[in-house]
Amino acid sequence: MRTTRLLAGAAALAAAMTACGAGGGQPSNVITVSSNACGGSWHLAGPGWHTFEISNQSTGGGEIDLIDPADGAVYGEIENIGPATTASMSLDVGSGKYAFLCLFEDFNPLTGPTVTVGGHAKGTPAILPVTYNDVIPLAKKYQSYTEAGLQLLARETGTLAADVRGGDLAAAKRYWLTAHLQYESLGAAYDAFGTFDDEIDGRADAVGVDSPKWTGFYRLEYGLWHGQSAKELTPVASTLNSDVRALLASWPAQQIPLIDIGLRAHEILENALEFQLTGHDDYGSGTTLATTMANITGTRVLLSLLHPLLAPRYPGLPAVYTSLDRLQALLQQEHLPNGAWVPVAGLPAAVHAAIDAACDQAVQELAPIASIAEPRNSINGF
Amino acid sequence: MGSEPSELPEPAPSPGPRRRSFLRGMASGVAGGVVAGGVAGAAGGYAYRGSRPAPSAAAAAEDEAVVQGRLPAVPFHGRYQAGILPPPQRVTAVVSFTATAADRAELTELFQTVTDRARFLAAGGTPPPTGIGGPPSDSGVLGPTVVPDGLTVTFGVGSTLFDDRYGLGARVPAHLAPMRSFPNDDLDPAQCGGDLVLQLSAGNTDTVLHALRDIAKNTRGGMQANWRIDGFSSPARPAGTVPRNLLGFMDGISNPSTASAAQMDSLVWIQPGAAGEPSWTAGGSYFVVRLIRMFVEFWDRVDVFEQETMIGRRRDTGFPLDADGIYATPDYTLDPTGDVIPLTAHIRLANPRTPQTAASRILRRAYNYDRGLDQVGDLDMGLVFTCFQQDIRQQFEAVQTRLVNEPLVDYISPFGGGYFLALPGVADANDYFGRALLA
Repeated sequence: MRTTRLLAGAAALAAAMTACGAGGGQPSNVITVSSNACGGSWHLAGPGWHTFEISNQSTGGGEIDLIDPADGAVYGEIENIGPATTASMSLDVGSGKYAFLCLFEDFNPLTGPTVTVGGHAKGTPAILPVTYNDVIPLAKKYQSYTEAGLQLLARETGTLAADVRGGDLAAAKRYWLTAHLQYESLGAAYDAFGTFDDEIDGRADAVGVDSPKWTGFYRLEYGLWHGQSAKELTPVASTLNSDVRALLASWPAQQIPLIDIGLRAHEILENALEFQLTGHDDYGSGTTLATTMANITGTRVLLSLLHPLLAPRYPGLPAVYTSLDRLQALLQQEHLPNGAWVPVAGLPAAVHAAIDAACDQAVQELAPIASIAEPRNSINGF
Repeated sequence: MGSEPSELPEPAPSPGPRRRSFLRGMASGVAGGVVAGGVAGAAGGYAYRGSRPAPSAAAAAEDEAVVQGRLPAVPFHGRYQAGILPPPQRVTAVVSFTATAADRAELTELFQTVTDRARFLAAGGTPPPTGIGGPPSDSGVLGPTVVPDGLTVTFGVGSTLFDDRYGLGARVPAHLAPMRSFPNDDLDPAQCGGDLVLQLSAGNTDTVLHALRDIAKNTRGGMQANWRIDGFSSPARPAGTVPRNLLGFMDGISNPSTASAAQMDSLVWIQPGAAGEPSWTAGGSYFVVRLIRMFVEFWDRVDVFEQETMIGRRRDTGFPLDADGIYATPDYTLDPTGDVIPLTAHIRLANPRTPQTAASRILRRAYNYDRGLDQVGDLDMGLVFTCFQQDIRQQFEAVQTRLVNEPLVDYISPFGGGYFLALPGVADANDYFGRALLA
């Protein structure tokens, strides 16, 4: 709640400011941009609330940032402004230097004239943009981490398939959980693995539990915990194993979109909130809390990669770790000494509420990372 | 809506009671304005609902303001919470929460955050941009600038907050306990109780939902919603009368006068030094919420005479069966055997109008709810009954006990709700909800 309280304070301040403005009117500046002129001559009357009307008079689309020209830190951004359109950007202007940066397709970045606001007024802080060069090495590391994880997974699904084939369904149940958690800890949520994910970890929602089209971990879980025979489940486990191996084989050629590194920071747990903590994805084993725990592992891998980029940019980062720690501690209490997990349906209401609240808090704290870690073109390069 | 007054004929009551009711209505209308902070527009705004004046320019302006979502801001700061005395607004949401803050410090932070958000939302303003630092700070549901739209945020605490989690046991209010089950109740534990409660009321649904989303996102981790009900109050039809519930009867006619500080001090507000009450409760008020399903389809198969004798009022006019005038006082001394208003009629049991029962009166604030269908396709609608008082046992429970087994029980079924204490008001920009409680 630390960051949100800061936000609340800022909101109250903003409210006070606008409430004091005569008639609620805000100073408005029209800023004209094009592929060869970025803002023209413009001025700021002083610190305080400003709304800029950005008018794109070029024949192509582009991105317009308001930056501190000294270091390229970004105050505000219009990510995509179409030709011959207008978009607005609001800002609490403080003391400092301001310039527009125009990034039009097929044109070099163009920085407009600098406007200086004197004094010591505090305004919306600028954030140093993350560049493509910052993220590329992270993506490479993430790719190799995932590859190692998939190799381990393939060994586990191999053992799992052998257990099912050999008729040892008790061992298969244990290994099912090991392998599924390994898969979930790879940050697999949210279609990271595309159509492979549908095959390996798809839900029965669209096809129904009796459909032969339903494959993967959840299909196997359903069978193992609904009394289906080893004979019936042998092809299911075998298909799972071969699908995992196909994913592993394709992995070196897969490209992780750079934007995904930051996006997944909150998306993995958004999925846990929707499908695991609700019990939606419990097909019989009652282990969705374990899955959530694995999802935290996947989230933490991304955070450890992003940490050096986030630490100087995101004041809420400590709260991210605090909220994940709390969620993890609450989940750990539902991991019984015999290794079993309490099914969400069996949680007392107060415990359920505490876990839900902690996960809600975590995704709330994680959400800004997507925006902060998004690679951007800037005056500092790509 | 604006053309209603001229199109729908007013009932023709006798001059005496009508005049009385007019005066009383004006009084309560002014009260709404005073509570709303003495803003002229707000004062005119609420006046027409509880009275029968000729349609006025102020009432028309109020209608327009509601439709346009431009009700003025209700001042947030004050000795009492601002959402308690005004008549029901068009839209409300009552949400119960489980406190999930880890300790007293986090609970305090939670109450401060709720205060900050409520203060901002009630006043309106422009949410701060986040630049490239994250998703937008505001949902945008009300557009780029948050309008007040008459929003009130009423914040309360339940008895379970005073268990051993936050060390508040010694500060439990004298009359706060879990809601009891009455005969004819069919309570669903999943829709009962709660450590905390928020009631958000405003002129429009988008305003209420915007406020709920804003408060929820800013209090993640500190509290988790466990039940919720949305309500609405209808326009008074005909204009100048009193809004109706979904049984088709005017609801909340007989209320203590919110214009009378003496009545509010003796019935609604917890007084400084009240016997047994911890000092932090002064300026608060006990807040009872009862979720009551109405079997409206069954009700619609009952003839109007039977309906009216169950309620004790005329359905069309809202008049008590023994008088002409919405606000006419039934005179039960002239009808000791219930020939005109049966002894079991709802209004007679609820408020017998005797000196002995005067102290059990409550400030009733009922909203209608509509939740679609039940499992078998019957209409799921009813009443979000809320009331405020000094002492739940002496007031709400006394009234409810008199109502046990009234004939109306066949057509209604209480299924949820809770007992809470609406906290004292937030005095100023440096104060926050529950400061004296948490100090």
